[in-house]
Amino acid sequence: MSPQTPTLEMRGITKSFAGNSVLAEVNLAAAAGEVHALVGENGAGKSTLMKILAGVHQPDAGQILIDGQPVRFARPADALAYGIAMIYQELSLAPHLSVAENIFLGREPLAVAPLGVINQRKLNERAAKLLAEFGFKLNPRARVGRLSAADRQLVEITRAIVEAKRVIVMDEPTSSLTAREVEELFRLIRDLKARGLAIIYISHRLEELAEIADRLTILRDGRAVYAGQWGEVSTDEMIRHMAGRELKEIFPPRQAKAGEVRLRVEHLTRPPAFQDVSFEARAGEVIGLAGLAGAGRTELVEAIFGAQVAESGKIWLNGSPLDFAHPSQSVKRGLSLLTEDRKRTGLCLNLSSATNITLANVRALIKGWRLQRRLEIAAANEYIQKLHIRPPSPAKVVARLSGGNQQKVLLARWLYANSQVFLLDEPTRGVDVAARSEIYRAINTLAEAGAAVVMVSSDLPELLGMADRILVMRRGRIVAELNAKQTTQEEILKHAAVEEAESLESGVWSQDSQLTTPDSRLQTPD
Amino acid sequence: MSDWIKRFLPFVSLVALCALIAALEPKFLSAGNLAGVARQTTVITVMAMGMTMVMVSGGIDLSVGSMLALAGVFGAFAMVAGAPVIVGILVAIAAGAFFGCVNGLAVATLSIPPFIVTLGAMGIYRGIALLVTNGNAVVGLPSSFGYLAEGNLFGIIPVPLLIVVVIALTVHFILSNTKLGRYCYAIGSNLEAARYAGVRVSRYQMVFYAILGALTGLAGSIEAARLVTGQPTSGEGYELRVIAAVVIGGGSLSGGQGTVVGTIIGSLIMGVLANGANLLRISSFTQQILIGAVIVLAVTFDEFQRRRLESAES
Repeated sequence: MSPQTPTLEMRGITKSFAGNSVLAEVNLAAAAGEVHALVGENGAGKSTLMKILAGVHQPDAGQILIDGQPVRFARPADALAYGIAMIYQELSLAPHLSVAENIFLGREPLAVAPLGVINQRKLNERAAKLLAEFGFKLNPRARVGRLSAADRQLVEITRAIVEAKRVIVMDEPTSSLTAREVEELFRLIRDLKARGLAIIYISHRLEELAEIADRLTILRDGRAVYAGQWGEVSTDEMIRHMAGRELKEIFPPRQAKAGEVRLRVEHLTRPPAFQDVSFEARAGEVIGLAGLAGAGRTELVEAIFGAQVAESGKIWLNGSPLDFAHPSQSVKRGLSLLTEDRKRTGLCLNLSSATNITLANVRALIKGWRLQRRLEIAAANEYIQKLHIRPPSPAKVVARLSGGNQQKVLLARWLYANSQVFLLDEPTRGVDVAARSEIYRAINTLAEAGAAVVMVSSDLPELLGMADRILVMRRGRIVAELNAKQTTQEEILKHAAVEEAESLESGVWSQDSQLTTPDSRLQTPD
Repeated sequence: MSDWIKRFLPFVSLVALCALIAALEPKFLSAGNLAGVARQTTVITVMAMGMTMVMVSGGIDLSVGSMLALAGVFGAFAMVAGAPVIVGILVAIAAGAFFGCVNGLAVATLSIPPFIVTLGAMGIYRGIALLVTNGNAVVGLPSSFGYLAEGNLFGIIPVPLLIVVVIALTVHFILSNTKLGRYCYAIGSNLEAARYAGVRVSRYQMVFYAILGALTGLAGSIEAARLVTGQPTSGEGYELRVIAAVVIGGGSLSGGQGTVVGTIIGSLIMGVLANGANLLRISSFTQQILIGAVIVLAVTFDEFQRRRLESAES
């Protein structure tokens, strides 16, 4: 079916955060009774586009039309009033309330209307009826906080369907569901189509989309690079559209020879996160750590750094043993960790760039009997120039910097601390293209100057482009060591996921949303 | 621009408040009255200097009122037992530092919110103070002890004022010119990030609480000198006035923010408010309402600022 006026149309949507363009003139139309697949890499702008549709963000330019009439959503309630409901990736339920209470939150059936007394029996009956109708096996009286991630997802889906009158947006709704539940969901989606709802479905899993999608829009770097009927382009072509650029433009070449061993890890163990991990990293080397989410990579580097305690095993730094007692020891001896979660474990957000850059080496600022501001500003300026941190002001509060610049501030911290071994955990997550290539260049400079770099990344092309050797982790163990110059994404994935057969069905395009193809992951500095 | 407002709002408020009171009651500006204000605010200000550090580091200590009484009682015991005045004062300071250390240790190792830990400590210290004194004031202190609260250096400079100035300068120096101070802001801004940057967070947290404890011990001595007895019931409700001084002065309840100058102004605002209200014969009941309103205003402003910063992040 193809009605003349789409139920929902987004025209020329443009949005930028803190000077970073996230969406540029994106068009998207969703017709009643159709499933519109929205795909793109992490940070391509899908979630931002949907948050604009939900009234969470307001576009800088462009308009939204419902049944051909322009509307403005100043807040989420406005979008809801037009019957637009959303299933968010990050769950948004009240954990202390029951399943039924969550489903009907804000629309509870009342016993004594003027007093706002809730009719609990009716609430539970209605919820039970809905859940049965949808085929979800859930107790309406169960507390949501006690449910598994998959069950919570089902509650979220049920709630959105109750709210949706015109459009329902599903952002990776199957990420925590079992195969059976996914089937139930697809049955439900077909049901919703028949009822005349427009469905926007965001997913990384192309084979999943093939089952239900009618139309397709591909986003890349905040632009809609393809729009058409589902099935008009091949999977390969879709991936090419999503990835966009050639790899060699992004990764600068490096001249470094492997020197003496800087870091040696022997039989490091902390079940269940990682077991019997041994490897060494030499001066001038960049080692990639690949693996699926949950393979234990983050836990491993945190244990090497001393932020978490390993159960057994040995770590040698420049030939002398390091007892993993506390990060302060590691820092003093030139071992640093660029953490995966820069907001939680990296930055002091309400302090200045200068303070953040010098935090791991405050000692160097003390001359005589006091801390010298002059030295602090000089040090900050040096790294602001080297890494092109924008805005170039040492006094700027880092909360006001974009994600890419925040990441550069953290990198500068470890450069200033004179580290010789760098553990980099997802160093380019949520970082825009320009900042990414500057980070790559900084890593190369480090390696050329004789540092050893261990880089955890879920971005396979990044690993292939940057690393000399790639260690693949699966379920807490290193299962393969590959020469980055000779291996392929397929080979890495095969080692990373050999037991999870499902993951391989999709080929290069991994099922795991952590594994993405390259590219500019222009993200909102969230 | 908003940073500028945040910085100077407390100061502007203090000046405006003084001007208003002086206009209504010229006696306010007399040297005698101003010295009185300084003396009355000493105890709170000394504690608030330590509280500034603890709150900048993201902590809070509700037990300082009880700790003041307990440390004061210990100092008084020492003097009654025959120790010289200076030793009595040192005993009070040491006792305070010890209790502060205990608080810091509990906060750093039990991973219970400092609010709860020190709420418990508040009851415990008060209970001990009452227990060891049987609820009675410790009397028989040497008369020279009173000098600490009522004396004048060179006949004009009130001793408490001198103490406040020395301590304020020291704490200001620590916060803005030392590693300790730098780590204080970093821990308060993001404890985990500080740990990952190689800061020994627990150790520093203990130091901050210990410094607050020592300053509370000193304040306990001043209070005891003022009353010329060791009162196990003294300092009740002081914790709230101390915290209010920090918050009014721009300190943040969520850590990472606060300055010595701000806290002094915060303490003075409350002192001037109380003094002005007395001069204008506003009842002490109404005063409580006024001070409460000022605290709510200050916290509202802090919260407002924080949200602005957060919205800049997203």
